[in-house]
Amino acid sequence: MLDVLIFAVLPYFAIALAIFVTPYRYFSNRLDWSTFSTQFLERRSLYWGSIPWHYGVVLILAGHIIGFLFPSTIQSLLSDLSALIALESIALGLGLMTLFGSIILLVRRFSGVVRAVTSYADWVLLLLILLQAATGVYMGLFVRWGMEWYLHTAVPWLYSLLTLNPQIGFVSGLPLVFKLHVAGAFLILAVLPFTKLVHFLFLPLDYLKDPPILYRWVRREKQLGK
Amino acid sequence: MDVRAQLVMVFNLDKCLGCHTCSIACKNIWSDRRGAEYMWWNNVETKPGAGYPKFWEDQRKYKGGWVLKGNYVKLRAFGKFSTLLNIFYQPYMPKLEDYYHPWTYDYANLYNAPEADDQPVAEPVSLISGEKIDIEFGPNWDDDLSGSPLYAENDVNLDERRIISSFGKLFMFYLPRICNHCLNPACVAACPQRAIYKRGEDGIVLVDQNTCRGWRFCVSACPYKKVYYNWNTGKSEKCIFCYPRTETAQANACAHSCVGRIRYVGVILYDADRLDVALKVRDEELVEAQRRIILDPKDEMIRRAAKENGVPDSWLDAAIKSPAYALIREFEVALPLHPEFRTMPMTFYVPPLSPVLATQRIAYDVEDHEAIPDMEHLRVPVRYLSKLFSAGNEDVVVDALQKLIALRAYMRAKNLGESPDEQILRKASLDTGATERLYRLFTVASYHERYTIPSLHREYLDVAPSDERRGGRGFGIIAKPRGGL
Ligand code: HEM
Ligand code: SF4
Ligand code: SF4
Repeated sequence: MLDVLIFAVLPYFAIALAIFVTPYRYFSNRLDWSTFSTQFLERRSLYWGSIPWHYGVVLILAGHIIGFLFPSTIQSLLSDLSALIALESIALGLGLMTLFGSIILLVRRFSGVVRAVTSYADWVLLLLILLQAATGVYMGLFVRWGMEWYLHTAVPWLYSLLTLNPQIGFVSGLPLVFKLHVAGAFLILAVLPFTKLVHFLFLPLDYLKDPPILYRWVRREKQLGK
Repeated sequence: MDVRAQLVMVFNLDKCLGCHTCSIACKNIWSDRRGAEYMWWNNVETKPGAGYPKFWEDQRKYKGGWVLKGNYVKLRAFGKFSTLLNIFYQPYMPKLEDYYHPWTYDYANLYNAPEADDQPVAEPVSLISGEKIDIEFGPNWDDDLSGSPLYAENDVNLDERRIISSFGKLFMFYLPRICNHCLNPACVAACPQRAIYKRGEDGIVLVDQNTCRGWRFCVSACPYKKVYYNWNTGKSEKCIFCYPRTETAQANACAHSCVGRIRYVGVILYDADRLDVALKVRDEELVEAQRRIILDPKDEMIRRAAKENGVPDSWLDAAIKSPAYALIREFEVALPLHPEFRTMPMTFYVPPLSPVLATQRIAYDVEDHEAIPDMEHLRVPVRYLSKLFSAGNEDVVVDALQKLIALRAYMRAKNLGESPDEQILRKASLDTGATERLYRLFTVASYHERYTIPSLHREYLDVAPSDERRGGRGFGIIAKPRGGL
């Protein structure tokens, strides 16, 4: 029952929210679409929170996605034991960074001006990412070789989700901590459209190709052919 | 030639009283909101002094503006890729305390305090958290040289720090500042989201509140620290040059309310094609290079080129009447603030002359005063002014001051019924006609001579006011800024 909830109901629910509510928010009101940075108010502990958290989570997330997209390539890469050990160690290191960062990010919210600008959404989000980092690191330490088993448990199950034919059997035998990690992941996806987490959806990359100064002309026919 | 129009403000520093009326006018209209309490889009600071935010001119600390590297002009802090690497935490961004912690007073305590031997007091409380705070710094904390050993003495433009403690040589003046609506705005270039833009028609630089995601690179990149981060809405904000007013040919709130009548607003035409060249000269040549790209609005060829670029006739006429063009280009008495930041600022300052009574030791009595002291005896050191207004080129400042001195000497003689000495004008490269015009501009010029702002004629621009704005509350907030669960 719990398995069905975590591996079938919650994922579809979360994906639906993310897919439908996020654009709604984008088109109805973008005035609250922001990182809601608190560096301006408090920077000393943010430094130790934001940097490890982001460098950790961006790379780890990328790892998850690469494993999902190219399972067979990764599989052959990991058949070399030393490669597996090296990659697992790097992943664990990054995981510890996210854990460390997420603890700091949460703790710094408890006092002073940062507390005053913290909304319920922020509390929920920060708590979720802390739990997510914690369960991830726990698996890295005690449910070893996750890179290996991820490829033929979670990945096929995720594909089965995509084909609208969820095969819970792939993952139902895994330990409870894995189930919590999955639940956490989809809860984060579910709250995405309701929190500041939307900040990473539109990566600012246009400017890499743009000239430095941007003009906008009120007049409709642009007089300048530039 | 790519002729564009720009709205420009000029400040005559000799006349600024430091009354802060302009700041209040601005705050009442634009920044009297939660998250914006600490912002002063228009602020007036005492020079020498720390300024607002504290020591904003010190780019060793804030890394704002551009630098010339070989044949490239680059943002001082980050290139495009290092922007991405520093996006999670910005090393050079000013913090709240660099401005000040906004506060109010717990007035209710005056009524609610229980009976006691002492009078109840209204203690200061933070406007952000509501907690009691100790006020350690505030807006214009160092006004009129207060706290000099802490603030004025550490002014980065000051060579001779002791001047602050030497009563006989002490000097000060006021420096009102708004966003300069630069021609090469560092804030625009630094924004990875491309939320900041320069309006083609009038050159006003704006932050699109719908596009801004709060990455805050603009705050760091602006060397004048004139983009502010709103901690409540999570977006950056800045001076909007009162565009809803200028679009309808009204003067900006700060200019309109200026008690000292020190401000001038007008159109200039400039050649956008030559911008690049003008940005790549040595520091000492910057003022001259900046002047050269400003075009003569009476020149037929330039007018034709401007028209082809879509500059309306009313703007061309306004450019001819523009006091900004006269002060900056024609008479060359108005100078840009810190041109060495290479943003090519579009506000200009007539450097202060007063008090002409020089220093204590060389005090002129009233008779001597007729002669008007020479440059060396002016109280404000030329060196200091040159660091503010000409990237260290003293000649540029001396030329401007010489004109102001000649103007005074000539007009004073004239008003006293003496025969004025035209020689002194010629030495300062002025003639009688120019002098009369300058005199009028600096003294009795009417509202419409000081502010020659053409309407943007939005009604003809074929852009219907957006539906979402209709019936709205004006600038910024259409819906509630803060979302969440
Ligand atoms: C690569 C894209 C990303 C960029 C550019 C980015 C940037 C930022 C920035 C600028 C902040 C504000 C920090 C501050 O207070 O000054 C922030 C906060 C945050 N980011 Fe990201 N982020 C990215 C990806 C992510 C991802 C993938 C996650 C999690 C899945 C994430 C989770 C968070 C959280 C939870 C906060 C809030 C921290 C707090 O305010 O206490 N970010 N991010
Ligand atoms: S003064 Fe600063 S905020 Fe204003 S346009 Fe220039 S760089 Fe941008
Ligand atoms: S209102 Fe005018 S005189 Fe008064 S401080 Fe502002 S600029 Fe100076």
